[in-house]
Amino acid sequence: MDILVGSLVAGILLGLVLALVALGLTIIFGVMDIVNFAHGEFLMIGMYTGLLTAQATGMDPLFTLPVAAVIGFLLGVLCYNGFVKFLLRGPMIAQLLGTFGLMLALRNLALLFFGSEDRSLQHGLLVGQSFDIGMGIIVSATKLAVAVLAVVSFIGVWLLMNRTKIGKALTATALNRQGARYMGIPTERMNALAWGIGGGTVTVAGALIVNFWSVNPYVGLTFTMIAFTVVALGGFGSVPGAFFAGLVVGLIMEIPGFWDFFAITFNLAWMSNVPMTSFKYTWIYVSYFVIMLISPRGLFGWKQ
Amino acid sequence: MEAIKNAVNFSDFPRIDRLVAGAVFCFLAAYPIFPHSAFAMATMIQFFIFSLYGMGWNTIGGYGGQVDLGEAQYVGIGAYTTMVCLLRWDIPFWISMPIGACLAVGWSFVIGYPLFKLKGHYFAIASIATSLVLKDLFEVWKFVGASRGLGILPYKYQTPDFLRLIFKEDVYYYYTIFGFFIAGLLFMNWFRKSRLGFQLRSIKDNEDMARSLGINVHWAKIKTYAIATAFVSVVGSFHAVYVKNIEPEDTMSLDLSILIALMAMLGGAGSFWGPIIGAGVLIPLKSYLKEWLGAAAGLVGIDLIIYGVIIMLISAFEPRGIWGIVQRTRRRKI
Amino acid sequence: MKNPKKSWRRLSVAILIAALVLPDALFAADEIKIGVLFPLTGGAASAGRELRAGAELAADIANSVMPDLNMTMAKNAGIKSLGGAKITLIFKDHEGNPTLGADLAKKLILDDKVDGLMGAYHSSVTKAVSAVAEQYGIPLINDSSTSPELTRQGYKWFWRSTPHDDYFTKDLFELLKGMTEGKVKGVSAVPKKDIANLASACEKTEWGSAVSELIDNFSKAYGFEVKKSILYANKATDLSSEVRSLMAVKPDAMLFASYGSDAILMLKTLKDQKAAPKILWGQNAGFEVPEFVNSLGDTTIGVLTRTVFIPKVGQVKPIAAKVNAMYKVKTGNDLSGASARSFTGLQAWVHVLEKAGSLKPADIQKAANSIEIPGDELVVPWQGIKFATTGDDIGQNTLGSGLIGQYQKGADGKIDLEIIYPLNLATANMIYPFPKF
Repeated sequence: MDILVGSLVAGILLGLVLALVALGLTIIFGVMDIVNFAHGEFLMIGMYTGLLTAQATGMDPLFTLPVAAVIGFLLGVLCYNGFVKFLLRGPMIAQLLGTFGLMLALRNLALLFFGSEDRSLQHGLLVGQSFDIGMGIIVSATKLAVAVLAVVSFIGVWLLMNRTKIGKALTATALNRQGARYMGIPTERMNALAWGIGGGTVTVAGALIVNFWSVNPYVGLTFTMIAFTVVALGGFGSVPGAFFAGLVVGLIMEIPGFWDFFAITFNLAWMSNVPMTSFKYTWIYVSYFVIMLISPRGLFGWKQ
Repeated sequence: MEAIKNAVNFSDFPRIDRLVAGAVFCFLAAYPIFPHSAFAMATMIQFFIFSLYGMGWNTIGGYGGQVDLGEAQYVGIGAYTTMVCLLRWDIPFWISMPIGACLAVGWSFVIGYPLFKLKGHYFAIASIATSLVLKDLFEVWKFVGASRGLGILPYKYQTPDFLRLIFKEDVYYYYTIFGFFIAGLLFMNWFRKSRLGFQLRSIKDNEDMARSLGINVHWAKIKTYAIATAFVSVVGSFHAVYVKNIEPEDTMSLDLSILIALMAMLGGAGSFWGPIIGAGVLIPLKSYLKEWLGAAAGLVGIDLIIYGVIIMLISAFEPRGIWGIVQRTRRRKI
Repeated sequence: MKNPKKSWRRLSVAILIAALVLPDALFAADEIKIGVLFPLTGGAASAGRELRAGAELAADIANSVMPDLNMTMAKNAGIKSLGGAKITLIFKDHEGNPTLGADLAKKLILDDKVDGLMGAYHSSVTKAVSAVAEQYGIPLINDSSTSPELTRQGYKWFWRSTPHDDYFTKDLFELLKGMTEGKVKGVSAVPKKDIANLASACEKTEWGSAVSELIDNFSKAYGFEVKKSILYANKATDLSSEVRSLMAVKPDAMLFASYGSDAILMLKTLKDQKAAPKILWGQNAGFEVPEFVNSLGDTTIGVLTRTVFIPKVGQVKPIAAKVNAMYKVKTGNDLSGASARSFTGLQAWVHVLEKAGSLKPADIQKAANSIEIPGDELVVPWQGIKFATTGDDIGQNTLGSGLIGQYQKGADGKIDLEIIYPLNLATANMIYPFPKF
């Protein structure tokens, strides 16, 4: 029983963070229909930012979020104005190619500056602390704090998009570009803003994730794939969709845990012998495929 | 007969193209005679391998307009079929290679049918997903050696072994892959003039229009995908006997899929010479950049940064790749 | 007067021919090139650095005269039987990638024209490299890869100085058996049922997969039960599912085979989830690199690891203490299993070359097959180096042995490895059970 609850809790906590990771991707897509293959690399940069700021200034990693947010925002705007802007004129193949190139460039810049070895946080208010919530289920304090902060960030972005003037302008641009232009909304600026917010949220997610996952320059791609699955499930462009889809994907990643639960409760040796942990990510890829075939719009999507 | 005539007829290319191609061809044919380092020879073989990968990819990605980022799984199917056939049942290359191609085509039908219901980004991401799933399966499948991979013990065979394609010197491999290269070129030449080629062009132009003309769009794409996978699988089989050591992480990785697509796109997707130019520019670039600027100089990763920047520049300013630049300059001259 | 142009032409042709032909003859005696393949970047880069430093130190000693070091190779500058020729090491980084390793080996053989090879740490890479060496008939001495498979391929150009995992894993089970019999220092006899349940998590390439199989086989032979065995990707950045899976079967002993970064990650995850095994053991590699203790600190107390060298060996072997001191000056760290073995591997090369007296591959092969290096020459606590020429394990050093160490906090507050096995060489009481996280 404790295995089941343990996996559930782990899945939900992870899912909340994944939702935040996917949030940036869905905003960018909503506003300008471009899929950013370098999304995971932004996350990776966020992770390094959180790590290095904490190590350099000695402050707790959880307080480095504002730094990560600013850097992510600037990076997003820079990428848009310096490069992505030009991609929009071209065919889709150019956009794919272009963001790939960006991915390669960012990944290897990180490799050049930070080296290939794994790095992780050693000290922090909550690093390494866990507590027992009964039944022998251990919850890592960092994961809990991170999940809470992810929810807070999510709410923050949602409020931004729906309650502020600028957010509403962004949403308007996403829904109907031409119409927004007629209303006097500067769509070019909206594009840059979308990239800024998108970049900022994923960098913050990275700074949160580095509290319990280690980072090396190659982590980006796996996260990109996870983000794509979350966005596909939730619906490209939908902010609440990303939230719920994140939770679902978080639980999917805990399938090995649920499998173990069944194997042990019903004492099935054959189940125990299946190397489920090797398929941790496989289920995500399968889910993506299945979701896209059954419901290309996802849960809450309004864009095809 | 008609097909063969089509395959060898290059007359619709401008004269200068044919001259340049002819000169390069002669150079490639004679290359091993000139003094060269083992490194250079290995690079040339890599060039041929990736040209072929690119040509295969080009059928569905270029002419077909569907960016496929999951070709590495077919490299794996071809490589593993040949490897397993050789190690378990001593089946020579020339038999295991077609078997591998058939398995690849079979698999391509299985996932192609649902896959081609998607388009654009969604298709691209789904193709990545399928490739990674197959790789994960191979990693735990004991029959193919799981993550430990499989290896050929070269001393067990009398080299040069033309049946099993096991050689000690790279020269034999060079001319073998060169032969495949020529075959690939002829095939692509036939392909672009074939009915399927024309169908793809009209689909790429305007899919709905093509459908209204009676073209079965879904089926055309699936057929093309099958061709691409067969191409890639054949080269995968060659890769297995050349490198003699395969494992899923190495042979079926996402990086390989991306590289294949990237080279073809860079050279010019949808054009005849594009994939070859792409491989011709990027393979030496990658090899020599790594050699000069790689770990030796303490600057790990600079070669790929330059790579990435080149890709970014081309995608922003000439999405039709290097061939697109060539065509643009030509038009200006007129 | 003779036609000056013709004379010049003849002279330049003569010089050209001389330049092409002579250098090989002239310079051959002065330099011996050995290609060394190590993972200098990637997840095992910390081990790669140690390996490189160990090999370089050995080459330095071989190439110069050090009268106060009681080693044959320190007595001469260079290889005496080759006219004092010095050893040049050409390092290549294979990044843990077997195909790249094979490529680099080919380049070393064909372009750099090395006389021999050494390497490569990752058993998967050594496998690929050994195939290349075998194909071209160039001798390869494997200093640091321990998958048993490598010496069972029947290769004629492959020798391995380090003992392999068959020996090492048996050591573990001998230790467990010793615990049940009360023979372990500081631990009264433990009832078998208390430590009967095992769980293993090994990285999934050649090395880890082999260890996983060995653990399964030995546990059957010794009467233990492996309740769960997991194979994982050493490049993973998250191992929480794996650890949860291990903990689900509530094992008494957790056994690992991990490279650098994954070993550290594994321990952190175990700590995070408050895993509570009675015994925690690692098959060397990542459990032994300096970073392991540096980044994990007190968390490592009580962790057992197979090893081949511990600085404390210097207390019984003065030669080891001397070399350790030199190594410490060079890198700031003590010799570890990795660096000690790369040092020993190159030392083996020196002895083989001395015996061969020539750079012809066939002569080197003969020398390697007949050499016997006594244990007093080595920094590692082995009986010596002698490569088997018959039986199952051709090319394997039959005189090597392993140690099992445990991380403990010394009186000075530093965390160091104490010898726990072999039982009669134990330097401290074993901490049992494993202290709670």
